[in-house]
Amino acid sequence: MVIVDKDNCKGCGRCVAACPKKCLEIGEELNSMGIKSVKYKGEGCVSCGICFYNCPEPYALRIEK
Amino acid sequence: MATIEQKGMYRTFPRSGKDVSFTHYCPGCGHGIINKLIAEACAELGLQDRTIFVDPVGCGVFTYYYWDAAHISAAHGRASAAATGACRARPDAVTIAYQGDGDLGAIGFNNAFQAASRGERFGCIFVNNSLYGMTGGQMAPTTLDGETTTTTPFGRDPALTGHPLHVCEVFSQLKAPVYIARVSVADTRRIMQAKQAIRKVFEIERDGRGYALLEILAPCPTNFKMSPDKAAAFCMNEMEKEFPLGVFRDETREPLAVRPVPRAASCRELFAEKDAVPAAADDPAFPERRFKFAGYGGQGILSLGLCIAEAARLERRHTLWFPSYGPEQRGGSANCSVVVSGTPIGSPTVEHPDVLVCMNRPAYERFVGDVKKGGTVVVDETVPVEVQPPEGVSLVRWPAIRMAEEFGVPKAANTMMLAALKKFKLTGLSDASLEEALVASFRKKPELGEKNRELLRRAESGARS
Repeated sequence: MVIVDKDNCKGCGRCVAACPKKCLEIGEELNSMGIKSVKYKGEGCVSCGICFYNCPEPYALRIEK
Repeated sequence: MATIEQKGMYRTFPRSGKDVSFTHYCPGCGHGIINKLIAEACAELGLQDRTIFVDPVGCGVFTYYYWDAAHISAAHGRASAAATGACRARPDAVTIAYQGDGDLGAIGFNNAFQAASRGERFGCIFVNNSLYGMTGGQMAPTTLDGETTTTTPFGRDPALTGHPLHVCEVFSQLKAPVYIARVSVADTRRIMQAKQAIRKVFEIERDGRGYALLEILAPCPTNFKMSPDKAAAFCMNEMEKEFPLGVFRDETREPLAVRPVPRAASCRELFAEKDAVPAAADDPAFPERRFKFAGYGGQGILSLGLCIAEAARLERRHTLWFPSYGPEQRGGSANCSVVVSGTPIGSPTVEHPDVLVCMNRPAYERFVGDVKKGGTVVVDETVPVEVQPPEGVSLVRWPAIRMAEEFGVPKAANTMMLAALKKFKLTGLSDASLEEALVASFRKKPELGEKNRELLRRAESGARS
């Protein structure tokens, strides 16, 4: 399942667009950089890792199977 | 529990004096995706301890904060030149140059192109986002026809600035590269292809096969002035029309051919001689002497300086010889500086000589005022002494040119000058060394060596002082 570290997310939305299960979205809450970061909708993740490889940040997303 | 997470990067990045764990890249930047793939490939292949990354100037400049391996930061455009040095100095290393399109495509093109032509053993990962990112989105050599940038506000006009540069296609004309490919990080499929290609570059360098170029099309949402998804779409729909993806060359399917490590001759080999003299020995008690020799080119001025330096070398003194001359082989003014010392010498230049030797008037008038107090000027007697040496400097007018003519060897005026230096003990070096150095300077024409030794002795005894 995808785990988001919201303080390392810049809210670019590439993972949201790439997720084949459409289970990520840009949330309303601001992170420590003042950015609306990505959040997991809570269901649907199949741990494929596509969001991780589309994300330009090394530590914003990780997958734990 | 299996996880997918970042490998090969430091956990935190000490940028701007504080540890953070996010990059400096803008949201949606292609560099970020590529940086992750590179770190992952390096770590997964177990190459972090063997890898030297050569970092560019441009948005990729901070990769040394991210990739956990060795780094060299190169000047703008020079990553391929620095990588050449790195891979030659450390043939066992995996050397990877990371460059952008402003960096590699413009100022550094020849560096990269010639390195590729030589087939240097490094991989060049070339990020093409069609403009200069870090400096504010100016036109780069890779900017598309009609593309708007800050320096092409009405779109790139080929009539004014030419067409985009196809780096992979140009490099494909070269014989040496073993792998040339263009990939993209605009969507998931392309990212996965890029991941494989990056891994391949590391494998090529791990196996020492030779030069690899991997161009990666990358979105720059900030300077495209687009949202990250639109920037990625621009990469796929517009950039790929100009820069088609694909493998231009792949010789890695051939049987493993390790490219030979270029072997340069060492200084020891280049300068080894049968009569090799041991290295200079320290002798702080030996007073340092600084010489300037000046005259017309062709008067043997540079050879005379070299002769003093050679005599010093024979005595295991530290010595440096430093010539200065114009483009002419004959007739221009020429001078050289020689330093002889008992301790290592910092600078080869001589501003205030202890001994100044002048063969003509312009040289005399130019340098006579520089001679150190207590020093000596030896000047050919044909030079009119209208300018007096500074106080405390002795002047020797010596008939070098006349004696050489009288002896029937006009070209030996420099040997006549050496006679003066020897006779008046101006060098601090022994007579035997000076003579040996003189003879050695004619080692290609041995009969002239002995002839000059004889001339030297005649000049010393025959001339009035």
